Amino acid sequence: MAFKVIGENVLRVDGHTKVTGGAKYPADLALENMLYGKTLRSTKAHANFTIDTKKAENIHGVVGVLTAKDIPGKNCHGVLFKDHEAICESRVRRIGDPMAVVIAESERIAEKALESIEVAYEELAAVFDPEEAMKEEAPKIHGEDNTVFHFKIRRGNVDKAFEEAAVIVEDTYYTGAVDHAFLQPEAGIAYEEEDGTLTVIAATQYPHFDRMDIAGAMGMEEEEIRIINPAVGGAFGGREDLTLQIHLAVAAKKFKRPIKMVYDRKESFLAHCKRHPITMHCKTAADKDGKLLALKTRIVGDTGAYASWAVNVLRKAGVHITGPYEIPNVWVDSYAVYTNNPFAGAMRGFGATQPPIAHEQQMDRIAEKLGMDPFSIRRKNLFTLGSKTATEQVLRESVPLGRCLDALEAAMNEKPLPDENINYLEDLKERQAKKEGAWNEKNR
Amino acid sequence: MKTINLKINGRKRQIEIEENERLLDIIREGFHLTGTKEGCGEGECGACSVLLNGKLVNACMIMAFQAEDSEVITIEGLGENEKLDPIQQAFIDTGAVQCGFCTPGMVLSAKALLMKNPTPTKQEIRRGISGNLCRCTGYEKIVEAVELAAKRIAETD
Repeated sequence: MAFKVIGENVLRVDGHTKVTGGAKYPADLALENMLYGKTLRSTKAHANFTIDTKKAENIHGVVGVLTAKDIPGKNCHGVLFKDHEAICESRVRRIGDPMAVVIAESERIAEKALESIEVAYEELAAVFDPEEAMKEEAPKIHGEDNTVFHFKIRRGNVDKAFEEAAVIVEDTYYTGAVDHAFLQPEAGIAYEEEDGTLTVIAATQYPHFDRMDIAGAMGMEEEEIRIINPAVGGAFGGREDLTLQIHLAVAAKKFKRPIKMVYDRKESFLAHCKRHPITMHCKTAADKDGKLLALKTRIVGDTGAYASWAVNVLRKAGVHITGPYEIPNVWVDSYAVYTNNPFAGAMRGFGATQPPIAHEQQMDRIAEKLGMDPFSIRRKNLFTLGSKTATEQVLRESVPLGRCLDALEAAMNEKPLPDENINYLEDLKERQAKKEGAWNEKNR
Repeated sequence: MKTINLKINGRKRQIEIEENERLLDIIREGFHLTGTKEGCGEGECGACSVLLNGKLVNACMIMAFQAEDSEVITIEGLGENEKLDPIQQAFIDTGAVQCGFCTPGMVLSAKALLMKNPTPTKQEIRRGISGNLCRCTGYEKIVEAVELAAKRIAETD
């Protein structure tokens, strides 16, 4: 059988519309008789609140202000747990939680009207450190326990291995929150069709999940909801949770006119998830030849105010914390924890991106202690065909890590080792300044 | 309210503007040329890049009134009739387009560069598009596309 796609260079079907500016992203769409929505968001990380929208509603050009009581069905959504409120009813759990949506004849009127909504906050004790949040006396974000998930691996006998080890390296590594900053900020349009079908057009990664959550919030059947996914201006995991979809749907049904919402960059940062900040405490042991003997690790991921994909992300982090290395004795405790921080969810790598910060530094430091070079120690421990991972998975297919390492070593050997007598930062600055001068001369 | 005249994509147009409107607003909402994108609204991302009197600008950083009597080229104004500009074609051919949201700005940025410097080095291309962010991080292919476009333009001249 001949392949038409695999191994061939295939032109993108949407290439032409994208290079000509013809591709339609949600903010590029417009419908007749359209209204615009703007979201009021919490400025407190943890608070009870009451809201008075009367003044805003009386502004000329404002057709209404949605609050939690306008959600006709269940006021909740979420990819795993339904722990988000579509519009918060009386309590906010993070800065940026949606509290009301102004619907107006123009974007400017809607924006201006946000200032006329009166909010009275009663601040609650908040917690921003996941270690603190795990303690019994910590303020609770949802329910009775802030620990969303605990993943364990118990393989072999780590304590015995540590006793027999020639070298042990132990330290704590931390990775911060990261925003996807996809280039197209959230935007969308919703309208009711003649037969009552509610259509929501929004750039999304999960049209089917969106439909399920919108149907739930609207108290409608999924068949009555239609999701259209137009051109999507980047996502990288950041469009897996809902943002404006339910707001659009509720407003379109209530006001019987098409509704458009467009976030600016600042609101985009407030609205969607981040990469989980993860703290990884690792204790790694090796014998005198550099063969890994044991890893004991405690991983704590801060999922912020909402769980999103925390379970999957911290499970993956727990699986990947061994690195691509055979380790006979492994003990992993990986936790996902609620705090009042921005919520974390899917982002490029999904929990596999953070662990290398820890396991690769551990490898370098073990090598250093044993006087080995960093390549040799990795080669000695790499997964190969037939290796068993810490979760007892047997790798039966392609495992080309050795080849990858060979290529890396060859590439690194092409460049001379740094000369201790050169101040590289100063040198770089000098060379850049020179280049800049030349570039300006040529192009300005 | 104020009425201004300008030439946009080769056509003379007149438009009523508000004092606080940006060039980006009149391009997208006034002329419905939605190929020009808004990514950040503060001149960081380059998604709204257009050519103003032949010079590359961020349309979110120019007030509409500043465009009076000017000539503006947006992504819709590139190429002739149905024929794509060589830069646009090169972006398709090299696979330099992913989500596409940075593409119009990238193409115009490349256009501005090649107008001044038809034979740029890789380094000069990188420098030329340094005001445009691609969050899909497809920079390698974009640089290749600009190289290919420069080569093709040189061959036809």
